[in-house]
Amino acid sequence: MAYDYFNPGTLRFFLFDVHGADGLLAAGRYSHFDREAIGMLLDTLTDFSDRELYPYLREMDREPAYYRDGKIFVHPQFEKIFRMAGELGLIGASFDEEKGGMQLPSLVVNALYFIMEAANNHVTGYLGLTAGAANLILSFGNDELKKKYVPPMLSMEWGGTMCLTEPQAGSSLSDITTMAHPTESGHYLLRGQKVFISAGDHPYAENFVHLVLARLPDAPAGTKGISLFVVPKYRPDDTGRMEDNHVTVAGEFDKLGQRGYCTTHLVFGETGDCHGWLLGEAHQGLGYMFQLMNEARIATGRMGLGIASAAYYASLRYARERPQGRKLPTAGTKEIGAPQTPIVNHPDIRRMLLSQKAIVEGSLSLVLQTSYYVDKTRIATGTEKDNYELLLELLTPVVKTYPAEAGFQAVNQGLQILGGYGYMQDFELQQYLRDMRIISIYEGTTGIQSLDLLGRKMTMKNGAAFKALAREIQTVMEMAHGYDDLRVYAGQLGETLQATQQVLQTLLPHLLAGDQERYLADATVFMEMFGLLVVGWQWLKTGVTAKKGGSFEPDFYEAKLHTLKYFFHYELTKTTGLTAILLNREGLTLSSQPDYFD
Amino acid sequence: MKILVCITHVPDTTARIAFTDNNTRFDKTGVQYIIGPYDDYALARAVELKEQLGGSITALNVGGSETEPTIRKALAIGADDAVRVDAEPTDSFFVANQIAHVARDGHYDLILMGRESIDYNGGQVHGMVGELLGIPSVSPVMTLIVEGQKVKMTREIEGGKEFVEADMPLVAGCQEPIAEWKIPNMRGIMSARTKPLHVVAPVSDEQRTHVGSYELLPPKAGVKLVDPNDMAGLVNLLKNEAKVI
Repeated sequence: MAYDYFNPGTLRFFLFDVHGADGLLAAGRYSHFDREAIGMLLDTLTDFSDRELYPYLREMDREPAYYRDGKIFVHPQFEKIFRMAGELGLIGASFDEEKGGMQLPSLVVNALYFIMEAANNHVTGYLGLTAGAANLILSFGNDELKKKYVPPMLSMEWGGTMCLTEPQAGSSLSDITTMAHPTESGHYLLRGQKVFISAGDHPYAENFVHLVLARLPDAPAGTKGISLFVVPKYRPDDTGRMEDNHVTVAGEFDKLGQRGYCTTHLVFGETGDCHGWLLGEAHQGLGYMFQLMNEARIATGRMGLGIASAAYYASLRYARERPQGRKLPTAGTKEIGAPQTPIVNHPDIRRMLLSQKAIVEGSLSLVLQTSYYVDKTRIATGTEKDNYELLLELLTPVVKTYPAEAGFQAVNQGLQILGGYGYMQDFELQQYLRDMRIISIYEGTTGIQSLDLLGRKMTMKNGAAFKALAREIQTVMEMAHGYDDLRVYAGQLGETLQATQQVLQTLLPHLLAGDQERYLADATVFMEMFGLLVVGWQWLKTGVTAKKGGSFEPDFYEAKLHTLKYFFHYELTKTTGLTAILLNREGLTLSSQPDYFD
Repeated sequence: MKILVCITHVPDTTARIAFTDNNTRFDKTGVQYIIGPYDDYALARAVELKEQLGGSITALNVGGSETEPTIRKALAIGADDAVRVDAEPTDSFFVANQIAHVARDGHYDLILMGRESIDYNGGQVHGMVGELLGIPSVSPVMTLIVEGQKVKMTREIEGGKEFVEADMPLVAGCQEPIAEWKIPNMRGIMSARTKPLHVVAPVSDEQRTHVGSYELLPPKAGVKLVDPNDMAGLVNLLKNEAKVI
């Protein structure tokens, strides 16, 4: 069967069989849903995506968001999408029931968003940012803010954004200059500008609720002086009347990809009084924002997974249909007169398809594994909860980065399968490649994620997070040892785990000596190695599940085991070279001089 | 207002179709099932009418227990309760007979269903139900508006439209654009678990037609490309190979 952008059977396999959704649903917090209801949700989101999202993907690229006369315009289909998303209950899907949400497991919510993102990656950012902003207000806002702003966000009548970046302060948020001056009325007067604001304005929301990072006049320098404010586009009064809050839309960025997803430039308080309300405590804003940022990092990795999945199925469809050349002979000479064979029969095409499948399904498993830990932090208690929080913190930069970086390579292979046609606007692969490129930049670049992984997560609490992960990996390795044909892969994963430990032991003395620059110089190389280790763990877990069998046809499980073998032979082996780079003591990136680049 | 919506449990439109037992039975292996797309529109219109006028919606299906996930979906979309007649839907008359029996007891104002199912495409059940109940039956209905006891409908006819009025109760075989397509929301899916789904025995097992066998369309033949300048060659192929001129 040909799939347009994802395989529903594979999603169900990873959701229920590999990651045990049934076990989560049995827990009290999630017991109001059962497997049949989750199945219906998956079907519903597939129907929604088939009808309302996927058919508009190409149009949203060709008719991108644009700025005119102080307003942003987006594709008209968004009006219907936002209305239906609100009616569906997507915005509050994971929120507690007492906060007006559906209290669905994050595992399920991320599976639902994955379907939508594979269908059309230009859409979910609008929903996810509104959900994230509403959740921040629910977490840290007072009752008045919650009552006034959250209900219309849950129905998608109002949109939500996060406003961090300024022209002079991107990755370095400690340098933001937007100011918030207190008034006697309790609100603050905001002044400053923010750039790269996703979903910052469009005609299909009555209002926007911007969560803005800004400084108070007496704020200490650096990130410890940043506060978070609720700044609406229009100020609602107690009677529901709306007043202009002087948030000016200064422009729309013309982007390489995701052109249907608007990216705006907002100016606060230049044309009049722009009121903001402090969220939570003063100077704690960046910490609050990280709640949203951490959710957004998982969501960004998931978005990369969605695009890579869509590119995989598009290139697979093409490879099965496109006749070109003759099969290479396995004995004797090539049959020149034979009919052309579909390109899927050429070994190099199969290698690229296997590579894509290994990356896509490995990323899917990683996204769901991380989501599972999110849920466990909500239902576990005591030391068990602490353990899941460590695992979640450790995996968050990895789940952001692996689907972004490996996913880009996967999409690139998909384009390559189409040859010259892949480069043409007539086919969707070129769009997927352009859409995909931002994923390793959003929500902290790969470099930033790598610094977070090696600089913070690997060392926090004396390496407790990495020890927790090693235990999880060991558990899967022990299960794999029970199957003759998986034992060798369990051994290979164990060697990679040991190599990772060896790299850390080699690098840590630099940190202990205070030389953070040397310790972190090759953090991105470490991220690459660590990502392969983590996804290798996910493939071995998948293999153990496939060996147990279940309700799918035998070929389904055989294909999973074959892809596992591909990953271990072609991908995980790359860690040998990465280990050599990381153990090398020359420190070439540090010793290079600026004029070497002339 | 009481509305009965009859839903079919049919293979997904993308399902691979195959037959077993010497081409006498449909092969259900690996097939995903959905609410018949035309029935989906009937249900969506029923939900709109309920929102507008109040009342209740009962979803009805004739089928085995394997159809219950499909029935639950109808409950999630907006039906208040459901009835499953526990029988294999063997032919149009059998199904119509079951519907008529349930409808007779339930005193429904409107009986809505799709213009046809998308598995066997009989398109006969609505007419038979109307006849069995002695009430009007209209199909294919593209718009349906209730004004008091009167129902105003638009039918699609060859080359145009027909505007029809009838008093309730009546049967309508529906098609798009009678309502905006609906999907269940999360609260609906959650509440569908607890809505009543009554299973009743069929009233008779009378089957008036029997399928001899099924046959799939022949696979598409390869395309022959003809040079635009080779008109003689094209005519020759059309005349002697395709035999269409």
